[in-house]
Amino acid sequence: MFFEKTFWFIKRGYLLQMSYRFDFFLKMFFMLFNILTYYFIARMIGGAAAAYLEPYGGDYFSFVLISTAFSGYLMISLRSFSESVRDEQMMGTLEVMLVAPTATTSIIALSSLWSFIFASFRVLLYLLIGILLGVNMTAANVGGALIILILTIICFSSIGILSASFIMVFKRGNPINMLLMGTSELFGGVLFPIEVFPEWLQSISRILPITYSVNGMRHALLQGYSLEELAPDILTLAFFSIALLPFSLLIFKQAVRKVKADGGLVQY
Amino acid sequence: MRYPGKRDIITTLDGVNLKVREGEVLGLLGPNGAGKSTLIKILCTLILPTEGNAYVGGFDVVKEGQKARTCIGFITTDERSFYWRLSGRENLQFFAALHNLPRSIARARVEELLDVVRLKNRADEPFLNYSAGMKQRMAIARGLLNDPDVLFMDEPTRSLDPGAAMSLRDFIKEHIVEQRGKTVFISTHQLDETERLCDSVAILDKGQIKAHAIPAELKGQDLCRVQFMRCLHLLHRQEPC
Repeated sequence: MFFEKTFWFIKRGYLLQMSYRFDFFLKMFFMLFNILTYYFIARMIGGAAAAYLEPYGGDYFSFVLISTAFSGYLMISLRSFSESVRDEQMMGTLEVMLVAPTATTSIIALSSLWSFIFASFRVLLYLLIGILLGVNMTAANVGGALIILILTIICFSSIGILSASFIMVFKRGNPINMLLMGTSELFGGVLFPIEVFPEWLQSISRILPITYSVNGMRHALLQGYSLEELAPDILTLAFFSIALLPFSLLIFKQAVRKVKADGGLVQY
Repeated sequence: MRYPGKRDIITTLDGVNLKVREGEVLGLLGPNGAGKSTLIKILCTLILPTEGNAYVGGFDVVKEGQKARTCIGFITTDERSFYWRLSGRENLQFFAALHNLPRSIARARVEELLDVVRLKNRADEPFLNYSAGMKQRMAIARGLLNDPDVLFMDEPTRSLDPGAAMSLRDFIKEHIVEQRGKTVFISTHQLDETERLCDSVAILDKGQIKAHAIPAELKGQDLCRVQFMRCLHLLHRQEPC
């Protein structure tokens, strides 16, 4: 039944997305603008930042393309779980879904599935356009990149589920999203290497999962690091995943219980 | 006295004691705010009661919520409870998957129910094209997807014009009560609905059961008569009994 449900959640997401075609094409179009912006910034920078970019292959466009593409998963994770709760509340479909004998955590996880598929499609387009604009991924360790991708999704999803728990209970005002969206872009090494920071600020970067995710992904795709060389990033992401996933599921269950007791399941 | 950070506690249901036999159709009659929807939501596992026990199909709705949901069909009047940009058929297939129906069974069940609610020829149209009556019939089809033992209907004719409401009542009577023999829990503030559909009626007011009997008996009881007539009178004015 799991595959049957997965299929229907994906189909529902696809049909709803395709019923708003203009929105879909606008998103794709402006994504191209983003890539071109980074491309021309990279041309302007040229070799000026070579010292900082050396550990990542030396090219700013490759550096920023990989990190912006994969940091999209963090944004999707932070938004999709909480937005799916809120969307179902606003559409009025949450109650009837929760009367079905499917676990609430499965409903929320599956509701976000289409967003992840859409994000993956976006990442593929990023990489494809990047290759057309000269990013060299011929040495890529695809297996290593996939392991990092899976751990990234588990880790970011756990944070997203925590975020959905807040939305479930407080309806608006999500400290997790505000904190992580603000800090991840600045401290996570998305737009520039964390080595640019003074040492004490780099310690903030080191407690953020996104730092290890984009770092590992760059090393796997651009420099073709072996699994051994990727191990520090992989193990750290695995540690975050193991710690965060059960915790977030527990908090989410408590949140559902609380709103059921308060009678606020469909309030938004 | 109000304490900062503490919310006022409202007792929505108080000492409700009801037993509905298998195959019985119970009408829950009461004005707005009486607690009808809250009672139905507790029985559907959507709200947790602070005290007391409730069982559906023999399952405790708090401790065995997942099992209780396997024998529950929930029919809500909320038109928004469907995906408006999906077709009627796609909506039913999606909810069938949530009810753990394997694909082949789901497909056959959806076709059967579309036939029963007379929407087969419009099943591939987007839900947003449907009239209020069609949306209600679609809600009934969805409530029957898992062939539930107990069906909860929360004011099923609320948003319908008198003609559509009568047609839906006939439909419920014929297809759900007579043909399928389901146990039905129907909340309403329409007296004619309870008279036409229900084996017994419970009058709920301010969260308490004021009377519970068969409709004719209820009218005949001296003790209840005043309460009943007053409630009916006030129901028309939408005031608490």
